[in-house]
Amino acid sequence: MSTTLHQPHQSMAAASLRGIAKSYKHFRLNNIDLEIEPGTVNGLIGPNGAGKSTIMRIMMGLVTPDQGTVSVLGQPISSRDASAKQDIGFFSDDMRLYKSESIAFHMQFVRSLFPGWDEVYAQQLLDRFGLIAQQKVKGLSHGQRVKSLLLLIFARRPKLLILDEPTNGLDPVAKQEVLSELMQIVNDETRTILYSSHNTQDVEQVSDTITFIDRGRVIASNNRDEFLDGWRRFKLQAPQNWQAPAIDGMRPESTFGNLRVMTLDRYQTGVEDRLQSSGATLESSESMTLEEIFVAAVSRGREEKQ
Amino acid sequence: MNTQAIQILFLKDLFLSRWPLFGYLVGGLLSAMVTYLPGETAGFIGFILMITVTIAAGIHLIGVLLLAESIDMTRVFVMSLPVSLLDYSIAKISVVLVAFLIPWLAMLASLTVLTFVVPEAKPGILPFLVLLFLFMLAGFCLQLVTAVVTESVGWTIVVVVLGNVLLNLFLKSLWEHPVISQLHKSEVLLWPPIVLQIMAIEAIVILVALGLAFLFQIRRRDLV
Repeated sequence: MSTTLHQPHQSMAAASLRGIAKSYKHFRLNNIDLEIEPGTVNGLIGPNGAGKSTIMRIMMGLVTPDQGTVSVLGQPISSRDASAKQDIGFFSDDMRLYKSESIAFHMQFVRSLFPGWDEVYAQQLLDRFGLIAQQKVKGLSHGQRVKSLLLLIFARRPKLLILDEPTNGLDPVAKQEVLSELMQIVNDETRTILYSSHNTQDVEQVSDTITFIDRGRVIASNNRDEFLDGWRRFKLQAPQNWQAPAIDGMRPESTFGNLRVMTLDRYQTGVEDRLQSSGATLESSESMTLEEIFVAAVSRGREEKQ
Repeated sequence: MNTQAIQILFLKDLFLSRWPLFGYLVGGLLSAMVTYLPGETAGFIGFILMITVTIAAGIHLIGVLLLAESIDMTRVFVMSLPVSLLDYSIAKISVVLVAFLIPWLAMLASLTVLTFVVPEAKPGILPFLVLLFLFMLAGFCLQLVTAVVTESVGWTIVVVVLGNVLLNLFLKSLWEHPVISQLHKSEVLLWPPIVLQIMAIEAIVILVALGLAFLFQIRRRDLV
């Protein structure tokens, strides 16, 4: 299954992936269609190995897809053309700086490639992130390394930020510092962010739209609030021979004796009445957290695939 | 092609390799000088040191500038910048080659000067030295193409070892060659046809290896 996240005009999209496929020995990215609207924060959620990093690397031209087309900020992306990267800031969890050199060396190196480098902002970020410019990279903690990389990205003032697991492995304080800075960037409505994580709480905090990815496929994609409003969990007491009413998007989650737990991905008012009238006793109708929605969507996606 | 980006990447890599480069330059110059110290033992030690410095410089610079970028994932950082694969490839292959050529040329140049300056030295040795240095440059270029294609420390070391074995065989064949073996005794600088033919073969190997390294690098589909 491939899902298109919003369908704006081609020229409107900050990034557009159409029919992207990429095969590795033990993994395949399948027919990915993704449209990212300008000025939005887009969360990409998936378990480890789902294909999030591959999608982002394809968007940066670091990986060439076997099929499909990619355009970012109105320009086709490939490893042969670097012009679009002038306005893209890319962070990857496995990205490394030169360990024998200082943060200042890297700032000077990146500044030499970006005419729009904002030195005042860079100095502010050094201060806010508690970094010392003269410190060598090999002496940095994981959190300081991540913050150094983000400083090098943010100070370029890119139009599109592609952030692959930026909060992975950060302590709560460092994570909050990074998320706060992201929130500041989000306030600038001209900038677009694609943010991947397997931590749903981080994504929920900053994202307007959310896409779930599992085993190389997009399994669901929607506006964050519509996701949260559209999913519901019901707990019912029902006899053994109870037949669930045919409600579109309703699936059994678990059964404990007479207790049935059902999830619904297209919630509408009146569903509770239909359940009650089917012979079951409704114990609760609960909203679901993004993490619960994600787990349910992954499980449904895998069932559909089988 | 973005010449400014190529220049920035080139200078960045040259800066990153400044300490090993300085070490090999000093080591190379010292070994060249030791070669021309009085006595056969000094000459032999200087000669062995020179070969050692050249081989060490080659594998170290390929490791620091090329393989480490892939293994340490610093290439993801560099390629996230406005740099195309062509820019990256030109800068990378040029800087690895230039970094190696700095101590290589310094050694060859100092040996050439010393050959004409030191009273006991005979200019006839120079063609032999040029053949030897071109052989080591060809060996380095083969290591470079191996590193580019395989991105593997293991395979690059295999080529280094094979290169060393071939170097010994090459030296042995030069010493046993009826014309070349007599050159070092000559007071006059001579370039017999056999020397020019071997030089031409070495030059072809160097150019083909560099061409292949560049071709493989720019045809790479995935950079991570």
